[in-house]
Amino acid sequence: MDSPVRRFWVIGGWTFLISVVLNFASRSILVVLSGPWGLLVLAAVVILALVWGAVLYIVFRYRHRPGAPAPRQIHGNQPLEIAWTLAPLALLLGLAGPMIGMIIEQADRPDPAENPLQVRVIGQQWVWRFQYPQYTDSQGRPLETVGRGTEPAELHLPPNRKIDLAIESIDVIHSFWAPRLGGKMDAIPGRVNHLWLVAEEPGEYGGQCAEFCGLAHADMRMRVIVHDSQESFEAWAREQLARQGQQAAR
Amino acid sequence: MAQTTFGGSPVGVLEALRQLRRQAATYQGIWSWIATVDHKRIGIMYGVTAFLFFLAGGVEALAIRLQLARPGAQVLDQEVYNQMFTMHGTTMIFLVVMPLSAAFFNLIVPLQIGARDVAFPRLNAFSYWTFLMGGIFLYSSIFFGGAPNGGWFGYAPLTEKAFNPGHGIDFWALGLQILGISSLASGFNFIVTILNMRAPGMSLLRLPVFTWMTLVTSFIIIFAMPVLAVGLFELSFDRLFGANFFNPLKGGTPLLWQHLFWLFGHPEVYILVLPAMGIVSEVLPTFARKPLFGYPFVVFSGIAIAFMSFGVWVHHMYTTGLGPVANSAFGVSTILIAVPTGVKIFNWLGTLWGGDIRFKTPLLMALGFITMFVVGGLTGVTHSMVPSDYQQQDTYYVVAHFHQVLFGGSIFALFAGIYYWFPKFTGKLLDERLGQLHFWLMLIGFNVTFQPMMILGLLGMPRRIQTYPTGMGWDLWNMIATVGAFLIALSVLVFIINVIVSVRRGQRAGADPWDGRTLEWSIPSPPPPYNFARIPVVRARDDFWHHKYREDEAGRPIPVVAGGANGHEEEGHAEHIHMPSPSFFPLIAALGFPIIAYGFVLADYALVAAGAVVLLFGIYGWALEPASE
Repeated sequence: MDSPVRRFWVIGGWTFLISVVLNFASRSILVVLSGPWGLLVLAAVVILALVWGAVLYIVFRYRHRPGAPAPRQIHGNQPLEIAWTLAPLALLLGLAGPMIGMIIEQADRPDPAENPLQVRVIGQQWVWRFQYPQYTDSQGRPLETVGRGTEPAELHLPPNRKIDLAIESIDVIHSFWAPRLGGKMDAIPGRVNHLWLVAEEPGEYGGQCAEFCGLAHADMRMRVIVHDSQESFEAWAREQLARQGQQAAR
Repeated sequence: MAQTTFGGSPVGVLEALRQLRRQAATYQGIWSWIATVDHKRIGIMYGVTAFLFFLAGGVEALAIRLQLARPGAQVLDQEVYNQMFTMHGTTMIFLVVMPLSAAFFNLIVPLQIGARDVAFPRLNAFSYWTFLMGGIFLYSSIFFGGAPNGGWFGYAPLTEKAFNPGHGIDFWALGLQILGISSLASGFNFIVTILNMRAPGMSLLRLPVFTWMTLVTSFIIIFAMPVLAVGLFELSFDRLFGANFFNPLKGGTPLLWQHLFWLFGHPEVYILVLPAMGIVSEVLPTFARKPLFGYPFVVFSGIAIAFMSFGVWVHHMYTTGLGPVANSAFGVSTILIAVPTGVKIFNWLGTLWGGDIRFKTPLLMALGFITMFVVGGLTGVTHSMVPSDYQQQDTYYVVAHFHQVLFGGSIFALFAGIYYWFPKFTGKLLDERLGQLHFWLMLIGFNVTFQPMMILGLLGMPRRIQTYPTGMGWDLWNMIATVGAFLIALSVLVFIINVIVSVRRGQRAGADPWDGRTLEWSIPSPPPPYNFARIPVVRARDDFWHHKYREDEAGRPIPVVAGGANGHEEEGHAEHIHMPSPSFFPLIAALGFPIIAYGFVLADYALVAAGAVVLLFGIYGWALEPASE
């Protein structure tokens, strides 16, 4: 049963597999290491490598050998148990502090003194609707962009300014998400959720509803356009308001 | 008495049933299976049924992967796609992993505790038939306008009548309700069995770990399933009778559904994975020829996981806006649940350390469990980190994570259990070559399928989207994942061939093919209906091993002359052993549930009444049935 060929396959197979997965893992790291959670991912990959390394070592070192004496019947080791309970506990609780700090930081809504741009985000099956209450037309209606069919709605933002998003829904639950600009926040009928973000780099970003919302969930996309400057954003807003007024007059 | 209660024609029915029952008691023919109350036969029926649902859920997965293989594909339209992922998730959780675990509870627990059957054999049959009825009812939705399409998590208000007017969600809610009854019945049955039916000397700290994990899982089931039942009742009331639990337009609260669903849903994860951990805790000691390292720590970490599993549900709801206090508290509780899980993994490594490891298929599958499950655990820790989860939530990273837990974990361990205990119940070993081929194909297929999904999630691909545009950087990874899914399918095909070949002309297994440690290996394969001719007296943990080996001064095992096989077994008493008689009433009672449920779906209350009559007839017949005749 323990032929060399077989041993080759068993050990070679595991080595191959683990190198393939580590390759995937390292690619994932490249994506994530740039973010604030790089250290967390690094710790996870180190632990993973240790456990897998231990498995590989143990199955190689303690594989069945004909004629070897029967293994000693060890039932456990109390200091070891205490160590491998407390060490992960300490590591994990060490993560809890920074985590709570970030939760609180992200939960604070921008101070009005910071002059945030306010945007009302409204989810509906299956388009987004963005309203800018600080920009109104002659009849007092807010500046608004909305998706049509599979044509995604555009969210225009000025650069380097806090954006205060108020997120709600008129039908089922949706979730606002522009991955490269920040985390997601659910749009839930009957309540208003808040999320703030700052877009540093001008350009165009993708975004999409992240909570399953029925038939055309996959089509519920958005385009986020971050302008070069506050002025360019203002110009867009004026033009858009004028167009809105013409449409209303017609 | 039954005759006088039911009057005219039921007398004929009862007489016919009585004759069939006498025939069934002979253990011959199809009726003996339908009326059986033997835990081993019920276990086999659970296993076969769950495997058929596994194939159905697998085909759904392949359809999903075909649709997602290329950007902009139209293999499945949006509606069918939504039905597919809803049924895939619902099937794999409620109709595959839970009943496959139940199959092992049934097959193994009475043998491991030295009992002749479970505490309530007819209730056990009732659990199986109710599970089968629930599964058939759920799938019959295809013939009533389409399968459920609201996701396995069925978030309101998307699942409310206003947004989902078809029958699909009604089938889903009532089908899960029926399956919940089955789970509750079997949960109570196994708690009573394990606490009350243990052989003399089988103290709780001598219980085999699989039996321990069955006990813990059963407690989670009886506390978690009622929460789901409440949620499903409220949803059904909203849909069928115009109540407004979850309808915000009339003052209902959509988030209430999420609280109820995840208060059930997270313990459910451990319902799915603790039995798997129990199986691994049996397989590793046998094939390393060493006792489980840190037995009390493995047991108590299982209990700790069960308690903690009820305090982490909000980590499914970080992005619903519950506020920083709730998110911080549940973030910390979720972090902590990784500790007992880690303790188990370290103890398994300790079990292998210093062992005499024999690379049989069950061991390979158990190693697959450890190596893949640890990835699931670590990615789970990344989810517990709230700000990190704001990005990961509802992406393919989550899909990869929980498949790492439920496939890389549960399914690998369940296959380890199948290869390990197959010879006990068929008397034949599964073929080792095909088994190893199955393992390697499945392990490679699994990684090729799910590791790319990690990357897809981190690249921003959300879950549950029917298609995606090209140019997102997702095309290649999706294609690879689809190829992997077909590799998994191929590995399952190898398994099916293995079972067919091995049942027909597999190598005969004696009572104890693996040099096992626990009581099930002390009786013949397959075991006689009464399991133990004489109830064993247990003197140690791993009692059977200690009949075969004593330890020298260095702690190394030395074979005991004339120990081992038949240590507990003495033939000849068999005809005096009283076993519970077969019964048709569990099946009849179970038949009532889908009839009632069809009545509610179709708003035909005569049908509801008819189902209730069938259910009551089954229950009364059951109650009034003589123990044997």
